[in-house]
Amino acid sequence: MTGLIFLAAAIAMMTALAGYRGVAIGLFGMSAVAAVLWLDRYMTEPLKLSF
Amino acid sequence: MGLLVRLGNAAGTAGIATILLIAFGLQFGLQELPCPLCNLQRVAFVLCGFGFLLNLRFGVQPLHYGLTLLGALFGLVVSGFQALLYIAPGTAAHGVPVLGLHLYTWSLILFFAVITCVAALMIFSGRPEHHNTDHQAALRFHGVYRLAAYLLIAATLANAANSFLLCGPADCPDNPTGYWITNHLPT
Repeated sequence: MTGLIFLAAAIAMMTALAGYRGVAIGLFGMSAVAAVLWLDRYMTEPLKLSF
Repeated sequence: MGLLVRLGNAAGTAGIATILLIAFGLQFGLQELPCPLCNLQRVAFVLCGFGFLLNLRFGVQPLHYGLTLLGALFGLVVSGFQALLYIAPGTAAHGVPVLGLHLYTWSLILFFAVITCVAALMIFSGRPEHHNTDHQAALRFHGVYRLAAYLLIAATLANAANSFLLCGPADCPDNPTGYWITNHLPT
């Protein structure tokens, strides 16, 4: 899943370089939301290392 | 002052790419595979770098700094959460310390540094470059600015590949001991 987030961020950057700022920011937003949701998964299920 | 701010944004972009490459170096040098939270801290660095990259390509604007700050805040939450997991005395910390601090502590410090740098750049930026056309901004996007942007994109793509090889399409183990791909290669 983090691989997909990185990929979306990389595509957002390449889109920005191509001059499509709106699309790039949209992709950035998608990857940011996915990252927050992915973090929430680990915050509600604490790592075993925390014990 | 405009040149200084543009160079600051290029330094920010290249700096974020360098952080990601150093993380790679430690991963392969120390044979220390990144945990899921460590990977999310790398994602946060990438999100920080995106705002700097937009400033280089489209001109300096508050919106772009806002995106960098959002990335840094996300990184602060992730690295702060991980630091809190091991803050209790007697709790075994995760990973090998580098220069006396664990990597998540370094991340915490670096995210504070990003916020501080963005504050400084915003102070020196003056008026936003709304008057510049996209064509003008594109014309100034060359040389060291373009190199910094390409470096960040390369580091992000390398992280995407690394993350997929390590975790596959699903969950990463809390404490990975090997690459996911090695279990799925034909013998």
